[in-house]
Order: sequence, then C-alpha cells, then structure tokens
Amino acid sequence: MNTFENTDRDKKAVGLLSGNELLHKVLDASITGIVITDNQLTDNPIIYCNPAFEKISGFARKEIIGHNCRFLQGKDRLQEERNIIARAIKNGESCTVEIRNYTKEGKLFWNELYISPVKDEQGNVTNFIGIQNDVTTRKQSQLDLEFYQQETEKKVEERTRMYRESQEYLRSIVETIRESLVVMDKSYTVLSANNHFLNTFKVSINETKGKLLYDLGNGQWDIPELRKMMEEILPTNNPVLDYEVEHEFPHIGKKLMLLNAHRIELEGQYKDWILLAIEDITERRAIQQRKDDFLSIASHELKTPLTTIVGYMQLMDKMMPEHASDKFRTVVKKTGKYVQRLNHLLAELLDVSRIQTGNIELHREQFDFDRMIEETIEGIRAASPNRKIELSGKIDTTYHGDESHLVQVVSNLLSNAIKYSPDGSDIKVQVSNISGFIKFSVTDQGMGISEDEQSKVFDRFYRVGEVQRHYPGMGIGLYICQQIIQNHGGTIWVESQKNIGSTFSFTLPLNP
Amino acid sequence: MRDKKILVCDDDRGILEMLELLLDDDGYVVVTEPNSINALTTIERETPDLILLDIWMPVISGDQILRTLKADQAKSLIPVLMYSASTDGRSIAESSGADGFISKPFDLENLLTEIEELLKR
Repeated sequence: MNTFENTDRDKKAVGLLSGNELLHKVLDASITGIVITDNQLTDNPIIYCNPAFEKISGFARKEIIGHNCRFLQGKDRLQEERNIIARAIKNGESCTVEIRNYTKEGKLFWNELYISPVKDEQGNVTNFIGIQNDVTTRKQSQLDLEFYQQETEKKVEERTRMYRESQEYLRSIVETIRESLVVMDKSYTVLSANNHFLNTFKVSINETKGKLLYDLGNGQWDIPELRKMMEEILPTNNPVLDYEVEHEFPHIGKKLMLLNAHRIELEGQYKDWILLAIEDITERRAIQQRKDDFLSIASHELKTPLTTIVGYMQLMDKMMPEHASDKFRTVVKKTGKYVQRLNHLLAELLDVSRIQTGNIELHREQFDFDRMIEETIEGIRAASPNRKIELSGKIDTTYHGDESHLVQVVSNLLSNAIKYSPDGSDIKVQVSNISGFIKFSVTDQGMGISEDEQSKVFDRFYRVGEVQRHYPGMGIGLYICQQIIQNHGGTIWVESQKNIGSTFSFTLPLNP
Repeated sequence: MRDKKILVCDDDRGILEMLELLLDDDGYVVVTEPNSINALTTIERETPDLILLDIWMPVISGDQILRTLKADQAKSLIPVLMYSASTDGRSIAESSGADGFISKPFDLENLLTEIEELLKR
C-alpha cells in the first residue's frame, strides 16, 4: 500500500506510479516543504520529505523519515492547533493551521500547515500529505501588528480612563469647594456651574447651562458692577481677585459677594474661557458687623459708669481733708491714675469702633501745620520733661485737614517713640514739604521692630510680642493712626532696625 | 453767684448724683431731672439760672429739648451747657444752639470754670 518506499531520489520508487518520475522531481524541486505519512503504520511515520522540508526544519532526511511529525513541535505541546490536526487525522479530513514549530536548533518558526488525506478505493485513509510553509516573517509582522494594536488600544483605554479620572477628580474638587463656580466661554455663555452655585442661587442646571450669564434667572445677574468687572477689568487685569459686589436678588434677597474671575490664557481648546468663583460673604460681613456693633455698644456702655467714677475721683481730690494722711493721698492718687488709664483704653476702643462703623467724621479746616506740630511736641515735653525732642524742618503752608485727628496721630507716634526707647535717648522729629506732600517722621533710638513685624504693627489689636510683656496695651493706637492718615489720603509706614531704632513716617497730599 | 440754681438733666443717675454732689459742694442749688421727657416742665417750674444737658437720652434727646427751649423767647436766655461722650457731640451742640459744650468724661475743674463763665454773662 505504501506509495513511497524508503528510496532516495532514485528512480526505483516502488509506490509511485510509473511514469510519475516527473511528478517526483516536481515534489523534490518545490520550495514548499512536503511530507507524506503512512497512516496505516503505527504512529503515522513520515515516509517522504522533500529537500525544502529539510531546509525549513533543519533536520536531515535520515532524521525525519520514520518519525511522527510531532517532533516539529519541540516541547510546545499545548497548542490548540494540535487538536485541530489530531481531529482532522482521526476523521480523515483536511485542515489548515498555523502552528508553532521548532527547527533542529530549537528555533521557532511559524508553519502554515495544510494536511490532506489520501484514501484508497474503499475510502480508507492510507496517507496524509503535509504541505508546509515557513510563514514566520509574515506571522511575526502579523503578531507585531496585533501586539501594537493591542498596546495602542490599551494605551487609549488607559488614557481614556486617566482622562475620565482626572475629569472626575476635577469635578469632585469643583463640587467640594464651598464656593460657587461658573465656567463660561468668551461670550459669557455658561458652560457649567457647580452645585454650590445652583443651591446658593436656587436655580437648576437646565436654566443655567447654555444661557448667557446676564440672562440667567430673568436677568438677575445683569449687574452693572459685574458687567464692568467682566468686560472692562478682566480683559486687561487677569485674574480679578476679591471684587466686591452687592446685589438684591429677587428670591434670595440681598447678597454681598466676593468675585474672583480668571480668564484662561493658555492656547488650546479652553482659551478665553472664563472661570468665575463667587463667594457669598453676606453672612460673614453680618457677623463682622455684629462684632463691631458689640464693640461699639460695649465700650459705650462701659464709658458711662466710668465717667461717673472719673468724676468721683476728682471730687475725692477736691474734697481731700487737709489733715488726710500721705498714705491716704497716695491711695487716692494711684486710684486716679489707673482710672485714667482705663479711661484712655476705653477712648481708644471707642475710636476703633467708630472707625469700623465708618463713623469717623473728618472736620477739615485750614490750619497751620507747623504750629500744630510745635504745640503737640510742647504737650509731650510737658508730660516727659526728661526727654529731648528735637524738631527740624518746616512746612511753611497751611493744611486743609482734621486738626484734632492729626494731633492724635502726632502725639501717638511721639508717645510711642518715648515709650519704646530708653530714658535719656533723643527723639528726632522731621517735617518737610516735598513736591505737594507733607512728610512727618519721628525717629527713636529704641528696641526697633523686626522686619516681619513691621508690616503688622498697623494691624488692629496687633502687639509686638516682646512689647506686650513690658507695655500692656490693646494694640490699636497705630491702627487708628493709619485710619486717620488714610482718611486724609495719605500713607503711614515704619522703617526700623533691631536694637538701633525706628522711624515712623507719614505723608499727606497737600491737594487731595 | 453761689446761690444760682443749676438744673442737670441726664438719664444716667450715677452721673446725675455725682454732678449734684460736685455742684452742691461748690455752693450751687442743684435740681436734677433723670427723665428727658419731663425736662421742659421742670425748667418751667424751677426757672434755673443754668442748664446742664446730656445729648444722648432716650425718648427725647438733649438737642431736641434745646431747640424747643431756644424757640421760647422767655427761656431762650437761660445758658445751656451740653455734654456728651460722642465725638460728634460738639457739632450737635453747636448746631442746636448750646452756649457751651464739654466732652465726657469731664474734667471737673474745667466744668466748674465753664459754668462760672456762662453765669457771668
């Protein structure tokens, strides 16, 4: 039955039909690997292979003939294709698979294998013909392509996931902040608004998104100050921070808002989008107001009984019996001194509360600035006779301002200079008239103020740390000075060096 | 001079008592009125030589009393010395026609001098 006996490429091929010598030569000449197995022998041994198969597999003919084809699979036995082949052989059918095979050196090659049964007249499978093509290169490029496709898909997936995550991340930030946030394109059409905005202003996303900012809620956002900020300020001053707007909204009432606006300048899809953060400070301002009112009422209420006490103290002095002991006189005197201090502190507190409520009225009048300085210095000298206060310079013109307030500033700066510098050290006062401004400076040789505290000394209730221990006070003197100078359109500042001294100066515009 | 009658009108009884003590000690006859609403009738009844008037009082403020007083020919000549703890007290006193103003807390010597000056007129 064997069509091919183990003959070399001689002409004695027994099984071949005579006259098929040419056909045999064709098989030998083919560049496609061809094997023929005898399926009637045990384990289906190979009975023919052509030189092309030897080349593909790297095995020599003598190592091939008599073996089952499976040697081509090396140790790689678990491929699905093996089952396909086994099934085809069992059923006597043909099949084509691409299977990983290994050369004699163990090198992988992709074998495009076509097997086809040869049947006798009764239909029994006698042989199988295996046609092999080394498709490693093609397969590899295909695999590479698949691999890259997969990689790309993975990357796209990853990117999409990251994008979603970052979108989600940003969204959660936007939703978490306790501030209203609106995103608009450059023509002020709302692209999105966070829940805080929707909740605060009692609107739904549907009546907000896609609408023009000024058209929102029947035009309730068409606020002149908002328009001014968006259209006039933002284009040239990006970002705009802490822009205060007060507005009466139809349903939610009067709101005091702090607006922060940011226009995106980065080139790209978001360019010229506008982010508008709206902080509702209505409540905060109301609390501040209540605090100020409390301060004002409390200090005023305290002042009334104190006035009476001050009066009685003076009465005690006035009615002091001639034979009163020195001890008793000292007690009365000391009491008077501390009552005066309390009185002074209260006066300062009252000043602060007046400043806060905007009740500090300026009574501007033309007055002689030089005379005011001289008189104030005179008053301070009388109170501290052992200190030398040196005055230099002159304004030589009258000034239009609130004299009593400016006296307060000058005497406050002078008494600070005395208070915070050692006994016997000189105090220098300089006044000058510089290109439309009055400049006043007081220089002491005191302890000085460290750089980081210099910016804070004008803050309300701020006390320089080490000063608090030696000189009790409330830290409002300089705050009041600053307010008064600012009310006159001037500036006040300090220059100081630790352990060398401080210079407090202010300037006032002569023509505000 | 020392027998002059002074009316003090203030809603704060502490200040009222203190001023009464001070002025009495200085030899004046003192009448006090803690209810601003009664001020005008008290003035009518007592015909004081001088009135010490607080500005901030409930119901009727010092400057309201003063305006009514100054509108009354007979009583407009009584000198009125106003006082207040508030900074705008002086301008209120001036605009409502007070003859003098001192700020709270008072310097008692200063107050006595002011009173003396006004009574000399």
